[in-house]
Amino acid sequence: MNRLIAPVTHKIGAISFITPEKITLKEHAPLYWMPKVPNKTTRIDLYFDAGLRQSKNSIVSMTSSMILSGTAEKSSTEIHSQLDDLGAFFDIGLSHEGVMISLFALKENVLEAFEVLIDAIQNASFPEDELQEMKAEKIQNFKININRVSTMAQRAFQQKIFHNTDYAELSEEADLHSIQRKELQEFHQKHYQKGLSKIAIVGALTEVQVNKISDLSKPYCISQSLQFESKFCNQPGHLHLEKEDAVQTAIRIGKTLFNKTHSDFLDMSILSTILGDYFGSRLMKNIREDKGYTYGIGTAIAETGGSGYFLIGSEVGKEHLSATLAEIEKELLLLQNEKVSQDELHLVKNHLFGQILKMSDGPYAMMDLYLSVESYGFETDFYNSYIQRIHDINENDLLKIANSHLHWNEMSIISAG
Amino acid sequence: MIEFESYKLANGLKVILHHDTATPMVVVNTLYDVGARDEHEDKTGFAHLFEHLMFGGSINIEDFDKELQKAGGESNAFTSNDLTNYYEIIPANNLETALWLESDRMLSLAFTEKSLEIQRSVVIEEFKQRYLNQPYGDVWLELRPLAYEKHPYKWATIGKDIAHIEKAEMDDVRAFFKKHYTPANAILCVSGNFVNEEIKELIEKYYGEIPGGLKPARILPVEPIREKFKTKSIDRDVPADAFYYAFKMSERKSEGYYLGDFLSDAMGKDQSSLLNIRLKKELGLVSEINAFITGSIDEGLFLITGKLSENVDFETFDKALWAKLQEIKEKGFTSRKIKSLKNKMITSKAFQDQGLLNRSINLCMFELLGDANGINEEEEIYQRIENKDILRFAKSTLVKENCALLKINKKK
Repeated sequence: MNRLIAPVTHKIGAISFITPEKITLKEHAPLYWMPKVPNKTTRIDLYFDAGLRQSKNSIVSMTSSMILSGTAEKSSTEIHSQLDDLGAFFDIGLSHEGVMISLFALKENVLEAFEVLIDAIQNASFPEDELQEMKAEKIQNFKININRVSTMAQRAFQQKIFHNTDYAELSEEADLHSIQRKELQEFHQKHYQKGLSKIAIVGALTEVQVNKISDLSKPYCISQSLQFESKFCNQPGHLHLEKEDAVQTAIRIGKTLFNKTHSDFLDMSILSTILGDYFGSRLMKNIREDKGYTYGIGTAIAETGGSGYFLIGSEVGKEHLSATLAEIEKELLLLQNEKVSQDELHLVKNHLFGQILKMSDGPYAMMDLYLSVESYGFETDFYNSYIQRIHDINENDLLKIANSHLHWNEMSIISAG
Repeated sequence: MIEFESYKLANGLKVILHHDTATPMVVVNTLYDVGARDEHEDKTGFAHLFEHLMFGGSINIEDFDKELQKAGGESNAFTSNDLTNYYEIIPANNLETALWLESDRMLSLAFTEKSLEIQRSVVIEEFKQRYLNQPYGDVWLELRPLAYEKHPYKWATIGKDIAHIEKAEMDDVRAFFKKHYTPANAILCVSGNFVNEEIKELIEKYYGEIPGGLKPARILPVEPIREKFKTKSIDRDVPADAFYYAFKMSERKSEGYYLGDFLSDAMGKDQSSLLNIRLKKELGLVSEINAFITGSIDEGLFLITGKLSENVDFETFDKALWAKLQEIKEKGFTSRKIKSLKNKMITSKAFQDQGLLNRSINLCMFELLGDANGINEEEEIYQRIENKDILRFAKSTLVKENCALLKINKKK
């Protein structure tokens, strides 16, 4: 055997993307169900239009943190013990756009667990003692996080990228202190009791069970379609936040971009991958594997409901800040001025095909793929277009897209450390 | 039930094949029986630094990642005090590429000076990012030498000092590879949709010719029995006082491991755990409290950690905690609580077992402990646990003489 010669590689086969069944809860609130699961696991995701964009950050975030903290009938401990008895877990995620509450259980327990969960969410009473406890916890966490260079940079970045919009609001410690129970109750009434916007179920349940979940959820649905802010414009320029005792500096660089609905989205995703979104990316190769300035550096396209932004993030040795910024600028210029080589393009295309195959492995992955396009009005066909675009894109397309979206002087640049 | 087939190559490489027809991907997982516990006390952090070097090119292949990415695959690795684990996730039809890459770096590394120089810097930045530039980041650097006196668990995987990493030389790298990176010291697990006979031929083709080497004997200093309570206080620029109670407990292969795992869940895994309810919710003494075990192969630690509420003094909390521990040692838990913990374990195992990578890593881990089939036997061990077992474990473990306490005080 000659080890110098790589084995022949093959193209990935066709992927049949599975679309979940759609049941309408109410006009603007769909329920998606992926029934083919080869085991007993089940996940139910509840989406509420109760994200940070809806009110003051401190109120929104406290409401989501306390959503399972007790009702008039049950204490927080009782709710959690009931879920424990059923072997169920939950997870709560908060973003600008909404709140997602996920329930994980085996199918024989999932309906009972769901009843406990939906009752706790819809009848949450925000007990005063629980509020005081959660305040203390959040204030302490706030104090811990505010000293991290990554948090400092992220907060400043948020202000620059969402400049002059509600999305730029930051919570301060004083905001947490001043939260009143009444504010939480009002927010809850508006955005949870009438804010359910979507349900996604993965699990081999019966139709009777799914109908039951649907019936229990219907009274809480939103009555209008979701509308999102779409007019963002980042404030360019470099802002440095000094932290004397830091040994590393956090860097965040980015600009306003767009989401999946924009015609440049796919090309920009591919370009972002080349620049910094996989282990062999240009930034990883340069800043980590050639210079050793960092443990990691990456790029991303973050989407919001009505827009999106481009982001480069890293933590580098404090002494390497200016050298790193110069190298990043150089890499952006390179993409604007020189064509990507055939070798590199071939490699990135294969890497992306592998990623798509991995992202479509199993019913949970299929549901997540679907959810990440449906809110932008697409079906799973989106992924077939993506695969086709990866096949078709060439070095000239990439040059063009880099010249449209990667100008250094348009970037908001934050460093903290 | 996770089905698998296991066998051994002539050179000593242990192989596990795990068939799964539902997935389009294949996982190639390689576990080397070497971790930070195998390091010399003056050259700590080396097993982990070496893990980075494994991506710096092998004898016949200049760029590991590039070749893998061309085949649509991805890779990563982790090092613990006990072991080092590498994996590739790759489209099933390109499985051979992963075997080619992984076997070539088992055969020999390229040992380039540039790779060593760069990865030293990268690991130093990792050290800073994870341990130095975070509030409470250096806890394990302080806690390990307090909890262990002799055993190499007394240093963290990242190393006890950045200087050790800075001083690593190429001769160290070569010697480490020669001693630990042999087929005899490795376990390979291939999982996914393939024909077993075909995959066996491929494994023989790529791995069969690698010289076996000897499995290095592991003779580690034995940790003396602790006879008295130890404590250490350090001042840091942090917003809240924090505490870390570390009780010594038995090794991974003993029954005690399962009891410790179970008890730590009952005491401090989530909001409905006992210490959370009593010390946080009812008494308001802490803003957070957790219990967990390290789960290490040799003698492990049972930890109770957390942060004090503002204006609570440590002595008040300490007294309340020991009173609760006493209560646990006397009463244990209700049968409802025990049953509900078991239910949660069944659910989490069902979710974990869905992941192909997770199954592959676990099969290798259990094989390292002596038998890959342990993966199928674990659940029953947990299901058998009764209150009397928990009481026995708690009484022998949660005692003061067995405890080392690290306190982090916020600078006034």
